Amino acid sequence: MLGRLEKDYDVVVVGGGPAGMGAALGAREAGAEKVLILDREPDPGGILLQCIHSGFGLHYFKEELSGPEYAERFLAKVVDRDVDVVADCYVSGIAVDSDGSKRVRVMSAKDGVRTVQARSVVLCMGCRERTRGAIRIPGGRPSGVLTAGLAQKLVNMKGQLPGRRVVILGSGDIGLIMARRLRLEGCEVMGVYEILPYTNGLTRNVVQCLDDFGVPLHLSTTVTYIHGRDRLEKVTVSPVDERLRPDLKRSKDIPCDTLLLSIGLIPENELSQSLGIQLDAATAGPQVSSTMETSMPGVFACGNVLHVHDLVDFVTNESLLAGRFAGEKAQGIRRPADNIRTVPGDNVGYVVPHRLSPEREHTLYMRCKKAMKPCRIRVGNLLEKKLRFVVPAEMIMLKIKPDILEKFQGDSLRVDIVPDGGKESNGNG
Amino acid sequence: MAETKKFTCIGCPMGCPLQLVHEGNKIHEVSGYECNRGAKYAQQEFTEPRRAMSTTVAISGARWERLPVKVAGTVHKKKVLDAARKIHALRVEAPVKAGQVLLADLMGEKGVNVIACRTMARVASAQEKAST
Repeated sequence: MLGRLEKDYDVVVVGGGPAGMGAALGAREAGAEKVLILDREPDPGGILLQCIHSGFGLHYFKEELSGPEYAERFLAKVVDRDVDVVADCYVSGIAVDSDGSKRVRVMSAKDGVRTVQARSVVLCMGCRERTRGAIRIPGGRPSGVLTAGLAQKLVNMKGQLPGRRVVILGSGDIGLIMARRLRLEGCEVMGVYEILPYTNGLTRNVVQCLDDFGVPLHLSTTVTYIHGRDRLEKVTVSPVDERLRPDLKRSKDIPCDTLLLSIGLIPENELSQSLGIQLDAATAGPQVSSTMETSMPGVFACGNVLHVHDLVDFVTNESLLAGRFAGEKAQGIRRPADNIRTVPGDNVGYVVPHRLSPEREHTLYMRCKKAMKPCRIRVGNLLEKKLRFVVPAEMIMLKIKPDILEKFQGDSLRVDIVPDGGKESNGNG
Repeated sequence: MAETKKFTCIGCPMGCPLQLVHEGNKIHEVSGYECNRGAKYAQQEFTEPRRAMSTTVAISGARWERLPVKVAGTVHKKKVLDAARKIHALRVEAPVKAGQVLLADLMGEKGVNVIACRTMARVASAQEKAST
């Protein structure tokens, strides 16, 4: 039910985006009676509500939906399963009692500060965007410099254009999609600049968001100065060498009134940190077991707060799973502890989850460090899979069956991505 | 005389560089693809490139100022900006239901409808609240 906040819950979910809705549904399906979603926006749905483009739901709904449609369908499922959803509120802290139960402190303009009891908590806070400060662009501090996702919210929900002449820094999918969005709204997009020698976005977006609209993509180039006192007047762009150092002698100025930054996402783990939860330096998200449980018993995590996903469908799958285990735990159902650690090896940036159990099937989520084609993923000496290609922009998923893990004797399982037909190296870490 | 057109396949993140050799409207050969999607895509892009479209329209009486909309079907690539102008001229009043047709037969193409992507309830405006 929307808007209801009771005192006691089996599972409290922090965040009402796709991860939060999936987790709540998973918890209900596992038999948890009372499940609550807390969200800080006026409507649940998270970032989906501003992602008006299509491409969501191909895996989960078998249909291509826009972000708001995906959110609305999911919210209907959640409400249908009698999950309580409270919007316009903020979780300012979580305390763990000696008996393991959690007290979640909820702030809202309507009700002030209230505390709800929870047997399990699922962290689904998602990400925030990296800002100018993260990459320290020198220059003035005029208005007109903002993150691409903020611009997306202003344009798509509030009907406010951030400016008329736009430069975009960073070629991740949000930046590419905003280039097209602003062209449709009649803005001039001067170019997309990317410090790396390759784009971080999907090819489809490079073709349909930039090429279709004649927006140039400049690789190995970055913004090195921001000009303007009150309003942005121009930016200086400079090519970079292979060590990403800008060559200021070959700089040029691009007149613009708006600079959009699409330079990466930071999982919002302040709440996790306040609980003393162990984080993974590579993902900046919690370390989790195969049940998506963090180092704090009874606290689970899924979605972009755990690691940044490219597809919402995969967030949904992961969250249904996290919610299911959170729901089981709330009912006192115990799973055998994980006894195998996953270790990222050659050309593997990270692997989630961080621990596995031979008890059931797992899906490993990982990202490569650099593009490789063709290649093989090797999981210890247990499993090998050929892939036509891997790129850092695309998350890799690998299913592992329990009978494979049962054969495994060690306690840590190394995952490598090696060129196909390439040299052999020690598989086990 | 045979000419060559280049495309980048969007079928998957591999992004195969495609080459299509044609003489006038007649396709002689497509090369550069690693799977069949590439061949199909190049042919489609050559004969009639079409695009899915999403944008927003102004809405009054709702919590937000813009209503997300999409085109059911596709629009010819060259007509995307014109179609956007047509869609942006729409004005909608809350309440609206997701799936509701806001404009039928966009650009005169039968069945190419503009539909709402989000249900938006009517919310009392500040003025309406003050008067009650």
